[in-house]
Amino acid sequence: MADSHYGRPRRPARRREIADEVSDELEFHIEMRTREYIARGMNPADARDRALARFGDLAYVRKTCREIGRRKDDDMRRREYFGELRQDIGFALRQLVANPGFSLVAIVTLALGIGATTAIFSAVNAVVFRPLPIADPARLVFVNEAWRGQPSDVSAGNFVDMMAAQTAFERAAAIQYASFNVSDGDNPERVIGARVTHGFFDLFGVAPSIGRVFRPDEDQPGSEFVVILSHRLWTRRFAADKSIVGRDVRIGGRPYRAVGVMPAEFDLTSDAEELWVPMAFTPERKAMHDEHYLTVPARLRDGVTREQAEEQLKTIATTLRERFPRDNAELAFRVLPFTETFVGEDRNRLLVMLGAVGLVLLIACGNIANLLLARGATRSRELAIRAALGAGRGRIVRQLLTESLVLAMVAGAVGLALAWWTTGTLVALAPPGVPRLDQTSIDTTVLAFALGLSVLSSLVFGLAPALRSARAGVSDTLKEGGRGQAGSGGRDWLRSVLIATEVALAVLLLVGAGLLIRSAIELTRVRPGFNPAGVLTARMTLPAAEYRDSTRAVAAFERLAEEIERIPGVTATALASQVPMGPGGNGNGLIPDGKPFDLKYAVNARLRIVSPGIFKTLEIPILRGREFDARDRRGAQKVMIVSQTLAGALFPGQDALGRRVACCEPGPDGKPDYKMIVGIAGDMRGRALAAPPPPDFYLPIAQVPAEAWDWNQRTMYIVTRATSGDAMAPLPHLRSVVAAIDPDVPLFNVRTMEERMTESVAGARFNTLLLSLLGAIGLALSAIGIYGVIAYFVTQRTSEIGVRVALGATRSDVIRLVLRQAAAPIALGLAAGLLASLAATRALASQLVGVERSDPITLASVISVLAVTASLAAFIPARRAAGVDPTRALHTT
Amino acid sequence: MAHEAPGMMHGTLDALILRTLVGGARHGYAIARWLEEATDEMLTIEEGSLYPALYRMERKGWIEAEWGTSELNRRAKLYRLTSKGRKQLAAETEHWARFAAAVSKVLLPA
Repeated sequence: MADSHYGRPRRPARRREIADEVSDELEFHIEMRTREYIARGMNPADARDRALARFGDLAYVRKTCREIGRRKDDDMRRREYFGELRQDIGFALRQLVANPGFSLVAIVTLALGIGATTAIFSAVNAVVFRPLPIADPARLVFVNEAWRGQPSDVSAGNFVDMMAAQTAFERAAAIQYASFNVSDGDNPERVIGARVTHGFFDLFGVAPSIGRVFRPDEDQPGSEFVVILSHRLWTRRFAADKSIVGRDVRIGGRPYRAVGVMPAEFDLTSDAEELWVPMAFTPERKAMHDEHYLTVPARLRDGVTREQAEEQLKTIATTLRERFPRDNAELAFRVLPFTETFVGEDRNRLLVMLGAVGLVLLIACGNIANLLLARGATRSRELAIRAALGAGRGRIVRQLLTESLVLAMVAGAVGLALAWWTTGTLVALAPPGVPRLDQTSIDTTVLAFALGLSVLSSLVFGLAPALRSARAGVSDTLKEGGRGQAGSGGRDWLRSVLIATEVALAVLLLVGAGLLIRSAIELTRVRPGFNPAGVLTARMTLPAAEYRDSTRAVAAFERLAEEIERIPGVTATALASQVPMGPGGNGNGLIPDGKPFDLKYAVNARLRIVSPGIFKTLEIPILRGREFDARDRRGAQKVMIVSQTLAGALFPGQDALGRRVACCEPGPDGKPDYKMIVGIAGDMRGRALAAPPPPDFYLPIAQVPAEAWDWNQRTMYIVTRATSGDAMAPLPHLRSVVAAIDPDVPLFNVRTMEERMTESVAGARFNTLLLSLLGAIGLALSAIGIYGVIAYFVTQRTSEIGVRVALGATRSDVIRLVLRQAAAPIALGLAAGLLASLAATRALASQLVGVERSDPITLASVISVLAVTASLAAFIPARRAAGVDPTRALHTT
Repeated sequence: MAHEAPGMMHGTLDALILRTLVGGARHGYAIARWLEEATDEMLTIEEGSLYPALYRMERKGWIEAEWGTSELNRRAKLYRLTSKGRKQLAAETEHWARFAAAVSKVLLPA
C-alpha cells in the first residue's frame, strides 16, 4: 500500500518505533521485577539475573511481540486508508453533484473524447492495422506488370516464364477474377469467383474449414473441374451443409466436384470472390504474352526483401523483352506490398480520420486541463481552510486525486457507452465494400489508451492546483481572500496557451471538414456527361461452354439487342460492355494514323463495346460526326467513336473526325488494323463522379474483334431508359427476354444508374460525415474550453470588477475588459490553426473535388464560425461579470 | 503456543488478563503481579507468554494500549479493557463456569 504520502511516519520508521516500544515495555517489566527482588533484600546484580531468568526467553518474546505489533499496525493503517478512501469518494461524488455545471462540462468533454476516439479508431484499426488472417503477411507481395509506369495485370506467358526463372519467391499464384453461373435446378445465380493456380491457398497459409485445397495435378487442363466454396457462398446457397464436400455443383453448365470450404475470415472483403476453381493453363495460354489478365500474389522467400525481388524481376523482364519483342516491348515488373494494395485509398482516408480523432482527443485533454486548473484555483480557499483545520498536505492531495479519478471514471463509463453506440452506428452508416469494417468491434487497446490519457490529464491537472495550494502558506491564501491573484500570472499564461492550442486544433479539424463538405457540394454539381434519370443497367454473361465461338456470342448479343428494343415502356435500349460507375471493362492502346506503328505512340483508353442505341439511351451527346448505325457491319469500313478527351489526346490540335486509329487487333498481313473515327462523343465521368473523365472509345458490337469477347468473358450490360420515371419498370421484361435467349443465363448486378452514382460517392460521403462530426465535436469542445477559462477569469476578478463598477465603469466597459482577456489567445489560435491547416490538408488532397486546399470560402467560413463561437463562449461569462453588484462583490469574497 | 503456561487451558490466560484489567488500566508488570497475588502465587504466570497474549488481544481489539506514567514516574505502556474486551471476558467467564461445573460434577460428586 502506497501510504507513505499520507502524512504518517514512513513505514521503516514506524517499524523501528514499534520495535523500540516493545523493547521499552519489556525492559520496564524486567526493571520492575529487579526492584521487587532488591526490595526483598537481594543484591542488585543477582536481582536482575533472577528477574531475567524468571521472564524466560526474552529475545523470543521480543520478536513475537514485535511481529504482532507490526501486524496490528498494518491492520489499522488499512482500515484507516479504506475509511478515508470511502470518505474521499463520497466527498468527490458530493462535489460532482454540488457543481453540476462543472461536472457536466467535464464529463461531456471526457466522454466525447473517449467515445468518439475509441469508436472511430476502432474502425480505423479494423480496416488498416488489424493483421489480415494470413500467416506472416509482411512477406506477401503482389507482382504487377508495369507499362509506362501504369500498373497492369500479368499475362499467362509472363507468369509462367517469370516463375520458371525467379528464386525470390517461396511460392506465387495466379488469379483471374471472373463471375460464374452457379445453377442447381431452376435457380441460377451469378457469383463472383476466381480461377487460381493450385498454390493459391498455401500462399496465404489459411487452411480450409472443411475438405482440402487444390492438389498440384488439379490445375492441369482436363482435371480442373473441382471447386472450393467460400464460407459466405456455402452458408447462403448450400445452407452450411457439410456433406456438400464430395458432391457436384453445377457451374457454367457443367458439374464441378466440391472439395473444400474456406473459413469465414478468409473473406477478406465484403465483396470478395465466393468460389475458387483451378486455373488450368493450356499450352497455347502459356505461350500468350500480350493478354494481361492475371493478378499475381507471391510470398517472398525468408530473408529476401521486396527490393531484391524487384531487382531480380528486372533481369527476368529484360530476358522476356528480348524473347518476345512484340508482345513485351516495354515489359517491367513491379513488386508491391500486399497490405498496401489491399487497403489502398481507404487507408489514406482512415489515416486522415485517425489524425482528426487525435486532434479531438487533444482538445478534450486541453479542456480538462483548463477546467481543473480553474477549479483548483477557485478552491484554493477551501483547501487552505482544510489545511488550517489540520488536514495534512498528503491528505488534501489524496482527496483531490480521488476527485479527479472519480470524475475520470464517471466520464469513462459514459464514454464507453458512447463508444459502443457510435461503433454500431458507424458500421451501419458505412458504405458497403470497406474491407473488414463489419468486423469492427470496440478495440480494448484503444479504449484503454483513450481512457488512460483522460485519466492522466485529469490527474495531472487536478493535482497541479492541489500541490500549489498545499505549498502556498495557509495564511497567505486566506489573507489573499482566496482570489489567488498574486503570482497567478504564470498560470494565466498556461491557460492562454491552452486556449490558443485548442482553437488552432479546432481550426485544423474544421478546415478539413469544410473542404470535404465543399467537395461534396461540388460533386452534386458535377455533370456526369450523361443523363442517369430512368436508366436501368444489368449485366449478363454468356457461358463459355456454349459460346466460346465468338460468332455465336455475337449472334446471341445481336439478337438480344433487337429483342430488348421491343420491350414496352422504354424510350431507348442498348448493350454495352461497360457502363459508367459499373464494374468490369478493358483498356486498349490506340495508335493514331500518322505515327509509326510502335507502342511508344500508343494512347491508353477504355474500350466500350456498344450496340448503336447506347448514345440515345444514356443521352451521351455526339458533338461531331455520327452515331453508329446499321451501316457498321462486319466487313464494312471499321469505325469507332472517341470521346472528346481521347480525340484531343490522339490528335492534339487537329480535327480527329475522319482520321484513322489502329487498335485492338492485328490487321491483315500483320499490318496495323485501322478504324475510322466517325464521331466524337461528349466526355463521361465513367470511373467515379469524383474522378476526371477518362479517355473512352466506342466500337460497334458487330465489328468487335473475336478476342475481345474473351477479354470481357462474353459479359455485357443491358441498358434501358424507361419512358416513365421508374427506372426499374422494364426489369421483368428484361428478364423474360434474356430467359428466352438462354434460360440458364441470369441477370446480375442489376442497378439503376442513379444507384451506381450514389454508390460511387458513398465512401466520400461517409468520410465527409465522419470528419464533419469530428469537426463539430472539436468546435463544441473548444467553445466549452474558452467558456470555462473566461468564466474562471470572471470569478477570480469579481471583487476587482466590483471596484471598477463602484468607480463608475459601465456594463460595456466590463464586458470589454473580460473579452479582451479572451481575444489574444483566440486570435493567436486562429492564425496558428490556419498556418497549420495549409500544410495538414495535403493529406486530404486526393479526396478533394473542385476545391483548392486553400479554398478561401472554406477558410473564411471556418474562421468566422470559430470566431463567432469563441466570442459567444467568452461573452456569456462576460455578461455575467457586467451584472456584478459592487456591494455584494466586495462583501462576499 | 509453546510459551503458554503448561497445564493452562487455551483461552484461560486471556480471560485472566482481561479480568485483571476490570479494575482499570495497568501495565504488564502490574498485571503479572496482580495475577500472582490474586491466585496466592498458586498460578505462576509464565511471563514469556504474558506479553504476546497482550499484543494479540490488542490486535483483536479486546484491549487498547497507551503510553503513560507509572507509579514511579516511569514511562510505561498501560493496557485498558475495551467494550469488545468486556464482552469477551463475560463469554470466557461463562464458558469457564460451565466447564468447571461439569468437571466438578465428575471429580467432586456431592
